[in-house]
Amino acid sequence: MTRYTRLVAAAVLLMLVAGALIFFYAPEDFLQKEPQRIFYLHVSAAIAAFACFAVVLGASIAYLRTESLRADRLARAAALVGVVLTTVTLVMGMLYAKPIWGKFWTWDARLTSTLVLWIIYAGYLLLRRLAEPGRQAARFAAVVGIFGFVDVPIVYFSVTWWRTQHPGPVIISDALPPQMLFVFLVTMACTLFLAAVMVAIRYQIETLTDEVPSPVVQLVGTQREPEPAR
Amino acid sequence: MTRSIAVAYAVARKDLTSEWRTRELVPALGQFVVLALVIANFGFQIDSQNATVIAPGVLWLALVFAGLVAFGRAFAAEREQASLEAMLLTPASAAAIFAGKAIAAALLLIACEAVLLPALALMFGTPFNAELVAAVLIATVGMAALGCLFAAMVARVRSREVLLPLLTLPLWIPFIVAGGQAVQVAMGASGSYNQAVALLIDFDILFVVLTSLAARFVLDD
Amino acid sequence: MSAIVAHEITQRFGSDVALDAVDFALDEGEHLAVLGDNGAGKTTLLRILATAARPTSGQLAIFGLDAVRERKALRAQIGYVAHAPGLYPALSAAENLEFFCSLHDVDRKRVPEALALVGLSDVARRPAGRLSRGEQQRLAIGRAVLHSPRLLVLDEPDASLDSDGPDLLASVMRGRSVVLATHDHALANRLCQRTVMLSNGRSLGAGTRLRVVR
Repeated sequence: MTRYTRLVAAAVLLMLVAGALIFFYAPEDFLQKEPQRIFYLHVSAAIAAFACFAVVLGASIAYLRTESLRADRLARAAALVGVVLTTVTLVMGMLYAKPIWGKFWTWDARLTSTLVLWIIYAGYLLLRRLAEPGRQAARFAAVVGIFGFVDVPIVYFSVTWWRTQHPGPVIISDALPPQMLFVFLVTMACTLFLAAVMVAIRYQIETLTDEVPSPVVQLVGTQREPEPAR
Repeated sequence: MTRSIAVAYAVARKDLTSEWRTRELVPALGQFVVLALVIANFGFQIDSQNATVIAPGVLWLALVFAGLVAFGRAFAAEREQASLEAMLLTPASAAAIFAGKAIAAALLLIACEAVLLPALALMFGTPFNAELVAAVLIATVGMAALGCLFAAMVARVRSREVLLPLLTLPLWIPFIVAGGQAVQVAMGASGSYNQAVALLIDFDILFVVLTSLAARFVLDD
Repeated sequence: MSAIVAHEITQRFGSDVALDAVDFALDEGEHLAVLGDNGAGKTTLLRILATAARPTSGQLAIFGLDAVRERKALRAQIGYVAHAPGLYPALSAAENLEFFCSLHDVDRKRVPEALALVGLSDVARRPAGRLSRGEQQRLAIGRAVLHSPRLLVLDEPDASLDSDGPDLLASVMRGRSVVLATHDHALANRLCQRTVMLSNGRSLGAGTRLRVVR
C-alpha cells in the first residue's frame, strides 16, 4: 500500500498548494469580493466529476463490447468518485449562490444539470447494489452509465433553451483576468490529480472485493447446506 | 427488417389483446389521473385566473406518474419473466420484442391521455386544441421508449418501485421541459410552440434509436 | 454427430456455486436424463443448455456451435420447457401458439398439429389462464415443439402431467435429442439412454441406464 500512501500524500500536498494560491495569491474579485474564491474549487470539482463520468462512459461502452471485468471495475470506481465530487460541487455551488444571489438555489441550467447528474449517478450506484451481482449488475449499470452521460448535456441544453423563453438570473460571466486564470488552472490540475488518485484507490478496493469469493468456496467445498430449488 | 416489424407487431398485438381482455390497466389509470386532477384542485387553489398557469404542470405531473405505472407494468408481472424468456429463446431479436412492448405501453398511456386531456379542459376550463394533443402525443413516444427500457431493467431487480422513477425521471426531464413549454403555449402563454415541438421530435428520435440499441443488453443475458 | 459436448460447466451466483465443473456428452437422437434432488443444480444446468443462461465458465458446444457466441442461431434449434409455463393467461391456447409461430417465423398451420400432438385440440379456444395445471404444461410442451427443434430441454415436465404423461413425453421426444430433468428414476429409465446425476452442483457420474432399487 505504500505506493498509494505516497500518491495520497502527493495529492493532499497539491491541494494544499492550490488552497494557498486561492487564498494568498489570487486577487479579490471586484464585484463579488471574498465569496468568489469558492469558484475555483467549485468549478474544478465539477470538471473533475465530469471527467469521472466520462471515464464511466468509456468503461461502460468497453464493458458492453468486451465484457471485461476490469472495465466494469473502473466504471464502479469512477462512478463513486464522481458522485462524491458532484456532491462537493453542489454544496459549494449553494454556498457560492447564497452571498451572490441571496438564495441557496436557483433553477439555472448549470445548477439544475448538476443536480440531475447527481441523481443519475446516485441511481447508478443504487442499481449496482440492488441488481444481481456479476454480469447483470455490470450490464445494467453500463446502460445507465451511457444514458446518464448522454442525458446531462441534453438537460443542460433544454434548461438553457427554456431560459430563453423564461429569462431568469444571469450567470456570472466567466471571463477571468490572468492571475485568476492561473490559479484556476492550477486548482483544476490539482483536483484532477486528486480525483485520479481516488479512482485508483477505489479501483484497487474493487479488485480486492471481487477476488474474495473464490478462497471461501474452496475452503467450504463439500460441506455446504443443500440449497433451495432454483 | 420486415421480420423485426412482424415481430414487433405480433408482440404489441399480444399485449394489447391481453389488456383488452382483462381491462386491468387502462381503467385504473383513467381513475388515477382524474383523482390527480381533484387533488391538484385543492392543493393549488385553482381559480379561473391561474388555471392556465398551473394546468400544464398538473398535466405533466399526472402524466409522469401514470407513465411510470403503465411502463412499469409492461414488464413487471412475475409471469412476464418466464414468458419474456420464452420470447427471447426464439429467433426474434431483443430490439424487436422491446419495440413491440414499448409500442403497446405507449398506446395504453395514450388511452389514458384520452381521459386526462379532456378531463383537464373540463375541470380547469383550459383550452383543448390540436396543438395540445400533438405535443403530448409526440412526447409520449420518447417517454415510452425510455420508460420501457428501464422498466425492463428493474423488473429483475429488488426494490423496483423505487428504482424505476429514480432512473427514468432524469431522462424524462428534457421531455417535460420542452413538452411543458409546448403545452403552456397551447394553453395561451407566450413563447415558441414550434421550437418546443421540434425539440420533442429530436429527443424522440435520439432516444428511440438509443433504446433500440440498448434493448438487447437489457433484455437478454 | 454429437448434439451436446459440455466441458467443466460452472455456474456461480456471487459466492454461491450452483454448478461445479460438470461434464457430459450427448449424441444426436439420444435422450439424457438429469437426476438429482432439489437444489442439486438441475434447473441451473438446463437453463444453460437451453441458452437461457450463460455459465460462469466452461465450454459448451451444441450441434457443433459454441452455445454462448452462437446462441441466437442455436435458439431456432432448441425447444425449452421451463419450470414455470410462462404462458399468456388472457390468450387462448391456440393464440398462445400462434403468437410463438410469429416469433419463430413458422407457418400457423403448425398450431393445430401441435395442439393435436399434446392432446389439447378440444380446448384450443380456452384462455390459457383457465386451463388446468396439466393442460398448461402440455401447452408449454406444444409450444416447445412448434418450430421442430433438434434439441428438447425439459425441466421436470412430468411434475404436473397426469397418468398419460409418460406416453405423451415419449411421443414428443421421439426422433429428437432430449435433455430431461426429473426426480423420477423409473421415468428416466424408460425414456432415456443416458443419465447424469447431480448433487450439490457436482456431477456424481454420467452413465447409461441407472438401475435404482428402492
